[in-house]
Amino acid sequence: MGAAANGAGMSALTQRRTRAALEAARWILSALAIIAALVPLYLLVKQSITPELETFAWPPKWYPHHLTPAHFETIFAVGELRGALIRSIGVGVGSAAAATILGAMLAYAMARGPSGRKIGFAAVSGTRLLPMISVAIPLGIALAMLDLYDQPSAIGLAIVHCAIAVPTAALTLYAAFAAIAPEIEEAAWLDGASPLRIFLSVDLPMARGAIAAAFVLCFILSWDEFGFALLLQQTNRTLPPLLYYYTTFGNVGPASALAVLMMIPAVIVVIALGPVLRGSTLATGTR
Amino acid sequence: MNQASRRLRAIFIAVPSLTMVAVLVLPAIGGLRLSFDHNGAASLHYYREMFRDAMFWRALINNLILPIGSLIVEFAVGLGLALVLTARPKRSRLVEVAAILPFAIPEIVILTLARYLLMPRGYVNAALVAAHLHALPWISPSAWLAMVSVIVVDAWHVTPIVMLMLIAGLETIPPELYEAAALDGAGPIAAFRYVTLPMLTPAIIGALVLRGIDALRIFSTVLVLTGAEGVPVLSTYAYGLWSDSQLPREAMAASMILALLVTIIGIGGLAAARKWAPRQTGLA
Repeated sequence: MGAAANGAGMSALTQRRTRAALEAARWILSALAIIAALVPLYLLVKQSITPELETFAWPPKWYPHHLTPAHFETIFAVGELRGALIRSIGVGVGSAAAATILGAMLAYAMARGPSGRKIGFAAVSGTRLLPMISVAIPLGIALAMLDLYDQPSAIGLAIVHCAIAVPTAALTLYAAFAAIAPEIEEAAWLDGASPLRIFLSVDLPMARGAIAAAFVLCFILSWDEFGFALLLQQTNRTLPPLLYYYTTFGNVGPASALAVLMMIPAVIVVIALGPVLRGSTLATGTR
Repeated sequence: MNQASRRLRAIFIAVPSLTMVAVLVLPAIGGLRLSFDHNGAASLHYYREMFRDAMFWRALINNLILPIGSLIVEFAVGLGLALVLTARPKRSRLVEVAAILPFAIPEIVILTLARYLLMPRGYVNAALVAAHLHALPWISPSAWLAMVSVIVVDAWHVTPIVMLMLIAGLETIPPELYEAAALDGAGPIAAFRYVTLPMLTPAIIGALVLRGIDALRIFSTVLVLTGAEGVPVLSTYAYGLWSDSQLPREAMAASMILALLVTIIGIGGLAAARKWAPRQTGLA
């Protein structure tokens, strides 16, 4: 075996050096991960609670010198932001609820039959091939014709977010439905329940943990989504495009406060939902 | 049970699938028609115009360079972190949370942050100057350095996904293989080369295909860091045509080239994944 010859051929000294080098590499990578995650976050939080002068100073201040709640007060005082916050929550809850229902239907059909599985995976991977921009521009035109473009309620955006979240919901729920033993459904069938009744009162309650996880994941997907929101809500913005405008037009303080605010639900959910999220991330492989 | 439940399953497939088709696929088809429609007649007019635009060719080339660069960085760092986190029986919780955190943060927040770090008078340049080095134009439009910045920032956000996919692959390798390799006298490098790498190949291919398809659609990173035309890619080129120049047909032509690119590479990649890594991509 090549491995054996290779390993045995190494002198003890070389082996020790290799191990030391690997140990060093491990420390460097760990340190890199911690720095890449925490230092930028610290700076963002710092910018959100210090006067803009400290951020614009050259060189910029690394530590807060004066603390101020002004930026958070600003973003809550400005009507544009309050509207965006409510809109983001509304779009998120509405699209996540609809996507979870549709995703549950698809996942159930995928878990209960080979043809359903094939069509389901084809739909899920097929829609993934469409670039956002090729959909968003003509969709904007179509929504304008239906009078749904850039509505204050952001109904058009909610419909899109629902459609792009269905694969996430379906892949999160698929394993849960597949894990339900067929004997349980058969027992309900022998008791005279219809297939729809079995789905509603046997399968759905048994999968409720996964359903909650799917809903939360779809909500986060919508909360974070930037491209469609930018193109479809040009004036009645949700939070991500609003943050984009604040950033590009140089409102450092409010932009940082808004960024901190946007981060909170996502970070809580990802850390709390770690294992579930991991499963669905592995299945979709997308951001 | 069969007839009625088969009907229910058919409805359960049809309703979500048709919703996705109606909202995502039909508009794309409408856009395709629009891009060929010149004053009511079928024509390649908008495509010919676009092929004459130097910006289009820059966008097309960048749309290949940036995803490849980003994939290289995210797989190198992702594999390294996956190995670090699975190497010990007891994982470091701090490193684990830190490694996943960039993915938990909304993309637009990551990009906002990156802008503040990389802008001319930002923190990165401040650190360079403090270390008696020169400040650099990290995100100046058209600079090659801006492409590096885009690649690194794009990889920063998605490396955790790659890492998680590779950890899942690493966890399926039976420990007995490492014990056998150690008995045969294999050092850590030989064990990686002859045990880890061959066993991990399906997971790597699966992750590469899924990430590659996503990487080709790069949009926000470029837009937020450099503006629509600073380091143009096909998405931002189309966005600029639509949003700044009010030219929807030209924009659709550009976005159709991107859709074609993603479809060709995506179908090729999915076929490769089906052959070599069916389990990882759920295509079994």
